[in-house]
Amino acid sequence: MADSPPNVRLNLANTPENVVVVREMLSGVGEAIELDHSDLNDVRTAVTEACNNVVLHAYEGDLGPLEVALYLADRSLGVLVRDHGVGLPAEPESLETDTGGIGLHVIQTLTQTVEFAAGKERGTDVRMWFDAPQSGAFAPLREDGDRAHTLALLGTPTTTICIAPISLARTILPRLMITLAAHAHFSTDRISDAQLLADALVEHAQAAISGEELSIDVTVEPRDLELHISPLSVGRAQQLIEQSELGELGGVIGQLTDRHEVLSTGAHETLTLGLSDQR
Amino acid sequence: MSAAIATHDLHIDHGTTQDLDHLFALWQDQRDPGTREALVKRFMPLTRSLARRYDRSSEPFDDLLQVASVGLLKALDRFDPKRGHSFPSFAVPTILGEMRRYFRDCGWSVHVPRGDQERALKVRDAQETLTNEHGHAPTVSQLSQYLELETEQVIDALQATQAYESLSLDAPRPGGEDDTITFGDGMGSEDERYELVELDATIVAAIRHIPARERAMLHMRFVEDLTQTEIAARLKISQMQVSRLLRRSLDQLRALTRDASEV
Repeated sequence: MADSPPNVRLNLANTPENVVVVREMLSGVGEAIELDHSDLNDVRTAVTEACNNVVLHAYEGDLGPLEVALYLADRSLGVLVRDHGVGLPAEPESLETDTGGIGLHVIQTLTQTVEFAAGKERGTDVRMWFDAPQSGAFAPLREDGDRAHTLALLGTPTTTICIAPISLARTILPRLMITLAAHAHFSTDRISDAQLLADALVEHAQAAISGEELSIDVTVEPRDLELHISPLSVGRAQQLIEQSELGELGGVIGQLTDRHEVLSTGAHETLTLGLSDQR
Repeated sequence: MSAAIATHDLHIDHGTTQDLDHLFALWQDQRDPGTREALVKRFMPLTRSLARRYDRSSEPFDDLLQVASVGLLKALDRFDPKRGHSFPSFAVPTILGEMRRYFRDCGWSVHVPRGDQERALKVRDAQETLTNEHGHAPTVSQLSQYLELETEQVIDALQATQAYESLSLDAPRPGGEDDTITFGDGMGSEDERYELVELDATIVAAIRHIPARERAMLHMRFVEDLTQTEIAARLKISQMQVSRLLRRSLDQLRALTRDASEV
């Protein structure tokens, strides 16, 4: 798991709401690979435990990054939950007395294998593998880069979502957008629009994005979501918007968003889409 | 919220180790109901906390707790302190095993849980009530407060809207409009406005495949720029239904244009 890049990566702040984002991502993956409902429940429960530990203990009450990577392999599914916090106690068993420790046992019970390891510099990596009979291997993200990670470290309420292949985003991105829109206090009207926007992005990203992965940074503010889609090849950002045109209905992406902006940085472009709820 | 679940762990009272060792020794030795009762009481918070982890499922919490308690009893019967493990490290897998078996036996994996469906309907009705009260569509936190649900449950219900074709969120609500309102009834002769002219031939062809009512919805949302709530009011259906139909028709439209351009 450490050597190959994942299929999905989420870089988030370690807030309780973001654990819901992780759980929704897992449901989306479950739907994509037709994971049995109770197997999905096991995966969600174990990963929730690992994430809750990052929320509650990793930064001793402070904010810090929570990173989740998901790996699809033949007949199995791996999840890495990483923090850069205080690290594991010398004796993992002592978690039991520290925190009631049930989490550790829950993870051990629900996973096929689990490994707790110290992070490269600090923090903890929890690597979990689950049986997923329906899963096949998908082409993963190109590299397990730290690009997104630095964004999460900036301390802004930014969530980074990377998904490969793009087809996998079909069941994941709409769920994540619903969840993030809910966290931005959108009304159900606009939440549904956010979902429609996610559908449109997944549909048209394939043609507009060079490579086989979708990478979006989402900033969540009260009644506002801002999406940064990058890196796009030059000219692709505008193309992504135009491709969503459905005749007289106009460009679906343009209609659903309140603002868009193309930022060019030499060889690449970033498309910024703003979605707000002005009720 | 998820973290709230975990924080309960912090307050589990395991008693002093000595107390426990003594109780387990006694239980091991004599197997009398009184000691078992004392141990059950000790580990009820653990059991409750495990049941709570599955609380977002559609099963009622009392049922979950009951199943978890059976697991606890089994764990007490089988636990052997001489093996050197702590009781929680032995009991957690046993209790979770009991709950997972329960879910499988319920056929929980096969069908969309009924509880989830009912929740989706409740969310739909609450949306309507709160929209009428506030004059605009509610937020997820307003819905969760109103329905006393976790925000995640409301998010899942909104997400589930698409899945429940058969449950039919289109079904008439008690005391509401019946479902006989069609595009024609609702719109009168206005449908002329939705005739499409001078368009890309592929898209014209595609749009003709979309039912009239959904075509009207698309027009209202993307050309007239109405909100989904406004569209719902105009067509006398729920916003949830507008959401689902918009999503489905956009999906169809894309599929049709995709097919056409591939030919």
